[in-house]
Amino acid sequence: MRYLAGRTVYMLIILAISSVAVFYAIRLSGGDATAARLPASATEADRETLREVLGLNDPIYQQYFTYMGRLLSGDLGNSLTNNALISKMVIEHGRNSIILGAAAFLLVFLVGVPLGMLASVRRNTFTDQGIMSLSVAGMAVPNFWLALLSIWLFASVLGWLPSAGCCEPKQLILPAIVLAAEGTALTVRMTRSAMLENLDSDWVRTLRAGGLSEARVIGKHVFRNALIPIISLAGLRIGQIVGYALIVEVIFGWPGLGQVLVNAVLRRDYPVAQFFSLVLVVMVVLGNWFADLGYLAANPRLRKI
Amino acid sequence: MASPLLSVRDLTTVIRTEGIEFEVVRGVSFDMYPNEILGLVGESGCGKTMTALSVMGLIPAPAARIAGGTVLFGDRDLVSLSERDMREVRGDDISMIFQDPLTSLDPMFRIGHLLTEVIRRHRPVSRSQAEAMALQALAEVELPDPETRMSQYPHQLSGGMRQRVMIAMALMLDPDILIADEPTTALDVTVQAQILDRLLGQQRRRGMSMLLITHDLGVVAAVADRVAVMYSGEIVEQAPVTQLFSDPQHPYTQGLLRAVPQTRHQRGALHTIPGRVPPPQFVPPGCPFSPRCSQALARCWEEHPDLVPENGRRLRCFNPQPLTPA
Repeated sequence: MRYLAGRTVYMLIILAISSVAVFYAIRLSGGDATAARLPASATEADRETLREVLGLNDPIYQQYFTYMGRLLSGDLGNSLTNNALISKMVIEHGRNSIILGAAAFLLVFLVGVPLGMLASVRRNTFTDQGIMSLSVAGMAVPNFWLALLSIWLFASVLGWLPSAGCCEPKQLILPAIVLAAEGTALTVRMTRSAMLENLDSDWVRTLRAGGLSEARVIGKHVFRNALIPIISLAGLRIGQIVGYALIVEVIFGWPGLGQVLVNAVLRRDYPVAQFFSLVLVVMVVLGNWFADLGYLAANPRLRKI
Repeated sequence: MASPLLSVRDLTTVIRTEGIEFEVVRGVSFDMYPNEILGLVGESGCGKTMTALSVMGLIPAPAARIAGGTVLFGDRDLVSLSERDMREVRGDDISMIFQDPLTSLDPMFRIGHLLTEVIRRHRPVSRSQAEAMALQALAEVELPDPETRMSQYPHQLSGGMRQRVMIAMALMLDPDILIADEPTTALDVTVQAQILDRLLGQQRRRGMSMLLITHDLGVVAAVADRVAVMYSGEIVEQAPVTQLFSDPQHPYTQGLLRAVPQTRHQRGALHTIPGRVPPPQFVPPGCPFSPRCSQALARCWEEHPDLVPENGRRLRCFNPQPLTPA
């Protein structure tokens, strides 16, 4: 419980710090916010008036507190470009992002863990080397390139899958695989090494001396022990997926949070950019917090006696 | 004497590293009888544990393999038994206790789960019957508060308690043979005596045959009926315990006995045997002990002595001399 309370406090601190960082980063990045709202023909006086109305001339810390106050009272504001309600944009695009992210997250573990187990059981055989080579490739290939390559192969040459769009299952396949590639590769390696490390334990010999079958020893006991590092790094995988979603959503034209954020930053749409950045930060931090919870649940040595 | 329960003959186990195979157990033969404790002693690295693991079929494959010999248990040769049949034997007919109780129990499962899993592997009993059996086994090794322990994880128990759990696990299915590999080495001295006492009590009560592997001659003298001394992968001397301690013949056995500190002697430097056990890759061609032996003859450097039976003991030495006080 102490552990959990500690992790929760830690999470809140990270959230507070990152909200400040996001707020400042967007304001310090230069560019003119009024360009998003006013036509190119607008005079400098018009622009100045708009800045005054939006509060952009106030000191940044004051803007921050005003903004956070509104946020906490449920007012997310409107987009500068088209005046759309940000709360509506979050629901609409968030749903798409969650579909893509969840698909990628499931792929990472449903593919990565079994492959890692297979590699560890077939240690130093052709199977193991094959799986490990694939995993090196998965880590080495940048995902934007993998995205382009897969569009070229599966959409242009073979014509099996659509190259972009939303939101049919067929359109989900390529972006989900690309988004999951690196995490899967890392999970394979980690599962393999965690399995091998536990296979060398003294207690494995005890179980064998009790007459338990290898399937039981490896599939149940060794796997249960190997699960601890896998779960504790699941939070990192969430962060990775959230970060890569920016690139993958843009390339595949998947209208998720990442795509909105990239567009908002390019157009200096402050309210949208800072809120969506915050959403991504919250997702990463929450992901890590969930991983801490899972780690706690998976490891009896951390539970209170 | 009754017919042996277990007959090990010419057991040879090899380990392969970097493409080279070398023998870590070399032609070991011994018998185990019901209601008897056979002590197996020797320095670290002399092949005691590998001998035991070979009997259990638990040598670390594929790095190690049994290259020859037989292990007769009843009418079955355990060496040629399939892995599936061997699993029926392990934990049921022959069980084993390991050296380090702190690392020998799976940390992710409760004690009760670990015990009942082995019981239900070998006996067609319900979960609650298995739990009752496990509870009784824990009570028999006098683990305090066994009901609570059943639902605890290994890390919640002390080293001595964990070793009792290991003993309970090894004894709960009433094996014919128990192999105890340094069962007390990793424990506090005060706990050592208790554990040894539990082990000995259970062995006598059940009339079980026990192979006690240790480098502690005091333990062997206290509990063993017969003793085999191993050096460099082979047995160099074997005798009933009183005979071995009163009249050791092999210079290595004599060296081991001299190395035990004794209070009646003057204080001073402890006796040591010069040199160390040769690594299995570089065993000398003659008697493997010859480089460290004070009474080696020219012949000892060239010829490998056989283990010769004589007057109820076995000895592998060309030039045995009576023990001179150190």
